Amino acid sequence: MIDWSAEPRTAAAFSLRQVTIQRQAFTLGPLDLDIPAGYVTAVVGANGSGKSTLFRLLLNMEPYDQGQVELLGKPAADADADVELKRRIGYLAELPHAYENSLTAEEKARFASRWYPSWDWSRYRKLLRSFDAESSDKLRKLSKGMRRKVELACVLAPNPELLLLDEPSSGLDPFAWQTMLAELRRFMEQGDRTIVIASHIPDEVKRLADYILFLHRGRPLGFYEKDALFDSWRTIVLSAQEGASAESDLKRVPGVQGWIRSAPGIYQVETDRADDAEAFLSSQGYQILSKQRMELEEILGCLIRGEEARR
Amino acid sequence: MWIPVHIDENRPEPLYHQIESQLRGLILGGQLAEGTLLPSIREFAASLKCSVITVRRVYQDLENEGLLRTRQGTGTFVSRVDPEQRQGHRFERVVEAFEKAVETGLQLQCTPGEMEAILREVMDRQLAQREGDSR
Repeated sequence: MIDWSAEPRTAAAFSLRQVTIQRQAFTLGPLDLDIPAGYVTAVVGANGSGKSTLFRLLLNMEPYDQGQVELLGKPAADADADVELKRRIGYLAELPHAYENSLTAEEKARFASRWYPSWDWSRYRKLLRSFDAESSDKLRKLSKGMRRKVELACVLAPNPELLLLDEPSSGLDPFAWQTMLAELRRFMEQGDRTIVIASHIPDEVKRLADYILFLHRGRPLGFYEKDALFDSWRTIVLSAQEGASAESDLKRVPGVQGWIRSAPGIYQVETDRADDAEAFLSSQGYQILSKQRMELEEILGCLIRGEEARR
Repeated sequence: MWIPVHIDENRPEPLYHQIESQLRGLILGGQLAEGTLLPSIREFAASLKCSVITVRRVYQDLENEGLLRTRQGTGTFVSRVDPEQRQGHRFERVVEAFEKAVETGLQLQCTPGEMEAILREVMDRQLAQREGDSR
């Protein structure tokens, strides 16, 4: 096994301690999180898992009932430092703001530029050009994807320390999506920037993320280094000798998340400790037929099943 | 620059191990010449769809082996490789290829005798083919 604890620990872009939000229909937390600075963290979860609420609470847009939030080294709830802190953050909300409907892209950018001393007009124009999104129409007249491109250009123009992106690619065509990935990579090349991105799209997570945070119904299901996650979660297909007590053995497989019988004598086991599971199965006399990496959504499915079983 | 490293999702080895052994192979095999500037950690990670943590680890390991060196602010470069190290590596790669073949054989329940017979047959066929080609 790889000893990840040997990696140098980096500073946190933000930290949550026992943060809880109670609403009538929804509870978020308690959340204890340290999101590392200098990396891309993907927040993965189904609709209603709390991804957007997490972003909003960081920005003081969602009052929390309990706990502490530290953001870019400062307490996030400090009203005096609020503007100062938000100038260091770029936030792309999940849905466009209705109050911007009657603005043009230029007017939206001019409004945003007043709040960000670090706003860079040449950077903004370059981004619009690379997204192929130059237009003088009002934002409400633009297609969903076009409007998203304008928003992306605006959120990147001040080159903030921390980017919070809530499903940034919704509405983008495949070309614009590639451009977005390239621009976000270029942003990260600076070395000291942080992205937290909520995403439904497995390919986006695979291409962009260094860490993955799983959320489900407001509860964290785990925070993983991406490659370690995909290295250790595997589906193992095995064949059992006739008369073997497979069903009771499979329950004892290290890291077992679930198993099914796919044909007489053939079983499929999901595990989050692939190496240990394989060693165990071989020692019990099973023959390993294949060992495959699991997809992001399969891993999320396993984590959700485990969480629901514990409730 | 684009580095020909291919990740096989179905290999049991961890990602960093696959990337590291292929990159080492490209350096020791001479495909990446001394002084070649490697992609930045973020760029390489993106092209491999892996995390920067993995690439940083690979660069660090190969730096410790003396195959790479990092100049602050400039990037990571391929170092000079001594010929002896290169020679040793030639066998390493062959051994690795055989190991994979034997693994497949065992999975399909071949006996040692059967595998030896297959090896001889494959060698004979390929050598005959090469001789034919060079004529």
